[in-house]
Amino acid sequence: MITSSLKLSVTAIEDIAPSLRHVRLAAADGKPLPPTGTGAHVLLSLPGLDRVHRNAYSLINAPGSRHGYDIIVRRVPVSRGGSAAVHDRLTVGDVLEAQPPGNLFAPVRNAKHHLMIAGGIGITPFLSYLQDMGVRQVGCSLHVCCRESEKEVFNPWLPENANVKFHWDAEGHRLDIAALLARQPVGTHLYVCGPSDLNEAVLQAAKTAGWPENQVHTEHFGGASSTGKAFEVVLQKSGLRVSVGEDESLLEALERAGASPLCLCRGGACGVCVTRLLEGEPEHRDHYLSPEEKASGQSIMPCVSRARSPQLVLDL
Amino acid sequence: MNIAPSDIKSRPVYAPLQPDPAATRHWLVLETGAINRKTVDELIEMFRPVASSLQMWTVGSGNAASTALQVLPDLSALSQALRDRGPFHVSDRFYAQGTEPFLWSVAGEAGQVGFTPAQIRLAHTGSLRRRVWCTHCHGLTENVTTQVVACAGCGRHLLVRDHFSRRHAAFMGVMVDAEVPGERPAIEEVFP
Amino acid sequence: MTIAFKPNETFRGDYTYRNSEAAILRFPFPFPEDKYMYSVNMEPHGPAGPSEAFVHGFDVDEHYIAECRDKAITLERDPGRCQALPHMMMAQWDTLELLMDSLSTDYPEHFSVHKDGDGFGARWTWTNRPLNIEQTFVFGDASTLPCEPFEYITRQAQGDFAICDQRDNDLFLDAGMVTSQADWSLDFNVGMSFMEWHGPVPLAHQTGVFERALKYLLMVRLGQPVRRLNWTMTVNPRLDTSPETYPEWGPDRASLTRENIGRKLHLRVELQTLWRLPRSNALLFPIRCYLASLDELVRVPKWGKRLSRVLSTLPKELADYKGLSRYLPLALDYLAAYDDGAPLPVGTTADIDRLAETA
Repeated sequence: MITSSLKLSVTAIEDIAPSLRHVRLAAADGKPLPPTGTGAHVLLSLPGLDRVHRNAYSLINAPGSRHGYDIIVRRVPVSRGGSAAVHDRLTVGDVLEAQPPGNLFAPVRNAKHHLMIAGGIGITPFLSYLQDMGVRQVGCSLHVCCRESEKEVFNPWLPENANVKFHWDAEGHRLDIAALLARQPVGTHLYVCGPSDLNEAVLQAAKTAGWPENQVHTEHFGGASSTGKAFEVVLQKSGLRVSVGEDESLLEALERAGASPLCLCRGGACGVCVTRLLEGEPEHRDHYLSPEEKASGQSIMPCVSRARSPQLVLDL
Repeated sequence: MNIAPSDIKSRPVYAPLQPDPAATRHWLVLETGAINRKTVDELIEMFRPVASSLQMWTVGSGNAASTALQVLPDLSALSQALRDRGPFHVSDRFYAQGTEPFLWSVAGEAGQVGFTPAQIRLAHTGSLRRRVWCTHCHGLTENVTTQVVACAGCGRHLLVRDHFSRRHAAFMGVMVDAEVPGERPAIEEVFP
Repeated sequence: MTIAFKPNETFRGDYTYRNSEAAILRFPFPFPEDKYMYSVNMEPHGPAGPSEAFVHGFDVDEHYIAECRDKAITLERDPGRCQALPHMMMAQWDTLELLMDSLSTDYPEHFSVHKDGDGFGARWTWTNRPLNIEQTFVFGDASTLPCEPFEYITRQAQGDFAICDQRDNDLFLDAGMVTSQADWSLDFNVGMSFMEWHGPVPLAHQTGVFERALKYLLMVRLGQPVRRLNWTMTVNPRLDTSPETYPEWGPDRASLTRENIGRKLHLRVELQTLWRLPRSNALLFPIRCYLASLDELVRVPKWGKRLSRVLSTLPKELADYKGLSRYLPLALDYLAAYDDGAPLPVGTTADIDRLAETA
């Protein structure tokens, strides 16, 4: 009844562009995997140089895939570890631990139309949308903003007759967000997935264009920034004392120190890592806690949030 | 008379109508007979900033409270008028004011032409009378002002509960004397 | 595993339903303490539990065949007991797969499923031996089944099923097969949000139980089902206690006497489980109904005493909401004879291997 973790073996690796790597995973024991979902992701544990990196990657498979999980990973120039692990060290035959797929970006099933805007690698969650029979039935269109050199790269995963348009930064090819968002038919839901500046631009344009808030959805790819001023953390229950560096998140510092708090999206959205704060002033950067909860200072999301005070004491 | 908040969370809560400044077009529907002249004038004033993109109708036969209002005789005329004015966009907003059964009937019409709940605003005015859905025959009884009512469909006496269905645009009615037939509370007018 | 099915038991009319001794001992008794209050009492739905009823994902017991027959009768009388809004088809297939996979894994001598491939378009063959069903169909093509997939498979499982669409940080009751509910109407509630359909439940809203429950449910993960118990009481072992048929079973509440209450009054326990569905990301909510009469329950001494104490301290609003008020004094009177006042351990287990003599 309960599946808390999976063992996946790497069965194929393919560099589809200078900084894009496609990885195929299968069940290490050969049994059917839990079926993938539309908009779902898989959290992989990637062995790093000094610690394990747990990163979530969108599953690009048609929903219901049980024989394999496919992901595409961008090489990040200044990698926090996960991307480098995939691009530099991953080999066919490696066995990785993973969690059964989760989903924080599912399409709204009673939408009358799905309008998707992707920025670069942000296209990946939409590849499963394009293969979802319910989504296709009501109609969907995908606009991808990417480098001109990459516009053919995703073709193997675009279904025939898919309504996809590519945009890049050249005269006549840029996406006019305001024009796209104006006069969209009732019942359309809008999804944006890309770097935070694209997400922000689209959210703002949607607001200005009179879209109801609950018809606009984003998945944060590249996440809320979780770096900042260094601070100290004390774990009340275990007695551990951890220094959180400037370029690591509170969560990463805890993991580095050997604590492994529950987490999932690592982007301040899902609520899994919510931790009781006993002392200290938090700097909230998450999308999960309510304004009241943030104001009370009794909870914190370690994956993205940091401290205003020199020290935090956590109930861990 | 205002609808008091109920302990029951399914019971809708209403707020005075205000135009959504981000919307591109506004559709305002009033219930003939439930709205007086003063209320119409107040609404016209409230919606003045968006007057150039506003369409106002009053639905139902009877004397329109104001000559400023365009009259639609009934719900199917509203349905036709909406279809004639469509298709609608995500930036449209639909507003209605009147008695509760009216509000949810017109919300249903707006839903039929594609408006999502987030695009619809409702405000209650006038009688507290209810539409009641009979759990046993699934029939509807209109203009219910008492807490116990005989079902227009099957004749059973129904207790009118506060549990509300937006889809049926009605309150739930359950047989009040199923356990001991005839053992019923005195009928009281509680939704005048 | 052998199950001694009782295919001809009835849950209406002559009410021949009875629990065997084994069925009484595996009953999911819901009260761990002498007093009852609402809580978000969820726990992981794993194979360990207070009784055998908790061990499998979807429990099949001796009443399986009879219950499926009763469900079919209810559906024939009122087809509106099974509804699915148009956008729920992906979730319907998720549900069919989950049930077929679970039942065939847990009860291989009774159910089997064979698939000739992965994914939509594959040909499946489903065998249900107790109900004498053999069905070949195309996974993903509803026209190859006698009815839509959700109705198809839930007709072959005990208990009610609801599917909640998850959107807008909320859950919506967008599909249901509801033939053994404790007094709520699918036709009225279908499409409602979490707070809306829980509207009528008294007391719980004030303590924020539902806000916390909703947040928790939104986070239920694939591969990590959870469960909780709910309870009420029913006169006669009647599964169809819907508001729709209240005129039929309502009078039973006034029919109890000192002489008949032991065999007629039943504790009705719902084992509610929650499953994240993989493709649709919807939440499947099975509500499995167990019935045991007072006579049967008091043969477990701990349960007789505990039930007496819980009922005698039940807040009035709860008793009213659960429909117990009319006969509660009579029930308390009957149970008092089985309560010696001795302290009882916390927990719901029967703590015996053999039942006491008949009540």
